[in-house]
Amino acid sequence: MLTLASALLVLLAPCQAFAAAPYLGYTYNTLGDDVRSVNGYLYEDSLDGYNMPTGPFNAPEDLFVAPDDTLYVVDTGNSRIVHMTSDGEPIAVIGDTDGPGKLNEPKGVFVKTDGTVYVADTKNQRIAVFRADGKFVRELTAPTSPLLGKDFSYSPSKLIVDKRDYLFVVSDGNTQGLVQLDPKGNFKGFFGANQVGFSWKRFLIKLVATKEQRAQMTTVKPLAFSNVAQDKEGFIYTTTFGTAYNQIERLSPVGVDTLNPGAKNRYGDRFVSNDAPFSVPAFADITVNDDGLITALDLQTCKVFQYDKLGNLLFVFGGSGDQNGLFTTPSAIGESSDGHIYVLDKGLNRIDRFRITPFAELVHQASKLYVDGRYKESETMWQQVLYLDANYDMAYKAIGKSLFRSERYEEAMRYFKLGHDRYDYSVAFGEYRKIYFRNHFAVIVGLIVLAYLLVKFGLPWTFRYLRGAFQGSNWKRSVPAKGGKAR
Amino acid sequence: MTVMSMMRKVLAHPIDFYYDIQDPKRLKWYQGFAVILLAYVARMLSILITGYAFQTREAYEISYFHEFVWIVVPWLTWSVANWGVSAIIDGEGKFKEVFVGSAFALTPYVVFIVPITVLTDILTLSEGSLYHFLVSAVLWWVGFLVLVKVKVIHDFELGKLVLVTVLSVIGILIIWFIGILLFGLMNQLVHFFIDLYQELQLR
Repeated sequence: MLTLASALLVLLAPCQAFAAAPYLGYTYNTLGDDVRSVNGYLYEDSLDGYNMPTGPFNAPEDLFVAPDDTLYVVDTGNSRIVHMTSDGEPIAVIGDTDGPGKLNEPKGVFVKTDGTVYVADTKNQRIAVFRADGKFVRELTAPTSPLLGKDFSYSPSKLIVDKRDYLFVVSDGNTQGLVQLDPKGNFKGFFGANQVGFSWKRFLIKLVATKEQRAQMTTVKPLAFSNVAQDKEGFIYTTTFGTAYNQIERLSPVGVDTLNPGAKNRYGDRFVSNDAPFSVPAFADITVNDDGLITALDLQTCKVFQYDKLGNLLFVFGGSGDQNGLFTTPSAIGESSDGHIYVLDKGLNRIDRFRITPFAELVHQASKLYVDGRYKESETMWQQVLYLDANYDMAYKAIGKSLFRSERYEEAMRYFKLGHDRYDYSVAFGEYRKIYFRNHFAVIVGLIVLAYLLVKFGLPWTFRYLRGAFQGSNWKRSVPAKGGKAR
Repeated sequence: MTVMSMMRKVLAHPIDFYYDIQDPKRLKWYQGFAVILLAYVARMLSILITGYAFQTREAYEISYFHEFVWIVVPWLTWSVANWGVSAIIDGEGKFKEVFVGSAFALTPYVVFIVPITVLTDILTLSEGSLYHFLVSAVLWWVGFLVLVKVKVIHDFELGKLVLVTVLSVIGILIIWFIGILLFGLMNQLVHFFIDLYQELQLR
């Protein structure tokens, strides 16, 4: 009767209709399986420039969301930067029609907090600097230095400017790292190059190859960076094409990767093949918000992957296709301060805006406390996360850590087990064992004494007894006479 | 009980044990099967009681059948390969001796793996080296018994012992290769007839 009533209630309750997302939410659990999860971001609307006086975009390559939430779109095909509000109202068009301020297929933009616009003017091989109102200020031409090497070709595509006004420029195809320029545009060295790992295949080939063959082989170069971003603490985040591991890096001021220290982390989707060049994720752009959440755009699957500060996957959304919420050729990504994510689609010449779901807001709050080590405060939030999505392994671990810290080791062990976290389970077990031993000291010592007595006196007696019993068997030779000296 | 006392003997006096089993009246085929069965039981028990922190596989990744195959097949192929190689190089051992003797070489595993695995329920991962040391000690012991078996049963000296062991391992690999090859070919053949039947049936 009660169930019937509740069923009726459910039927009569006012229904709110949602357009189904064209993608299914999922995440990777500790075992590496993709498991269903709740979507973290849903498609909201698009800006395509057709209703703007500035006209439609043409193959835009980059998007920058300024701290005041205005958008800078690098309209590469039209050789200009469109500065607009998040509602699609144009504020300014940067890039003169003539003179030194004329851009030629720029590919990247960076805006400082004071509004100064730095444009990676790719075809002109320079960085163009504009004032906040769009007036051309100066240019930083191609750096010259003997350190650059004679094969160096300058093709600035993406850039950031740090607090000292130093520029870090991604030069397309350059394998030596980011080009570091001082405020005057002088070359200050390469920054944070990728490393070439050891490869058995290469080693063995070199071992058997002759000198001539070795000379013909292409030298192995580190992989080039594809994009760069900066968080509010000044850490530099880079993305790399063509590798299955550590495609996302966080570089410290001395150029050391602090996101994957000594580890081979896999970002993006985990494909079956490990090394095939065309099936590994290709992260084209990356954005980091004030809480340290990393959101990266993968060209291979056209999906957006969001990670926490420690590199744990939180959400995946998007995909390849024509529906709203999917992309044809995404090129850039940005996040505004209200948590909207903007994805620039070069193929459709538009910006897609995604809103955050309540579930993702909950996870973000909880994960912010979690990465700061405030496990206790995050515990109830993680419980809510699990109530909504029991596949979220991170929640089990976080609750386990909170319980561990409040010295409830047995419960912590249970949660670590649910989260497949063997290491933390073992640590919690160590503490649990200590307490267990303390509480049952008398019994345990008693058992040990009993076991000792059994081994010392019980076993020899049993053997003697058994020998006696089987004296008649055909294994007689090794059996001494009953009652004789056993040892 | 005879199997039990034989297991005690192989642990305490392996060389004497392998001399003794060359007495044709003493050795029975069932003794080999019994030890292998015990080894299988010990293996499954140890998997069952391994503490969570020490488990390397999820429960669904473990198959009773596969574990059985991974004990029986190496044992059978080793017996065949070792007997075959030794027979060519003047070994004295009979197939029965190799077969049952190899099974008894697993005795340390049968006897000790369960008590050692109990340790995983009271040790943490940081103390795990003790467990791993004991497990590898047991496996080395098993390997040692296998070598003693080859030496005593076939009456080899050391150089020949090493040679025969290496050849036996190569023999095992050849047997496996041929086995897999035959399996693949038979598969093709069976599928061919199934396809033929379907073709005629559905035409």
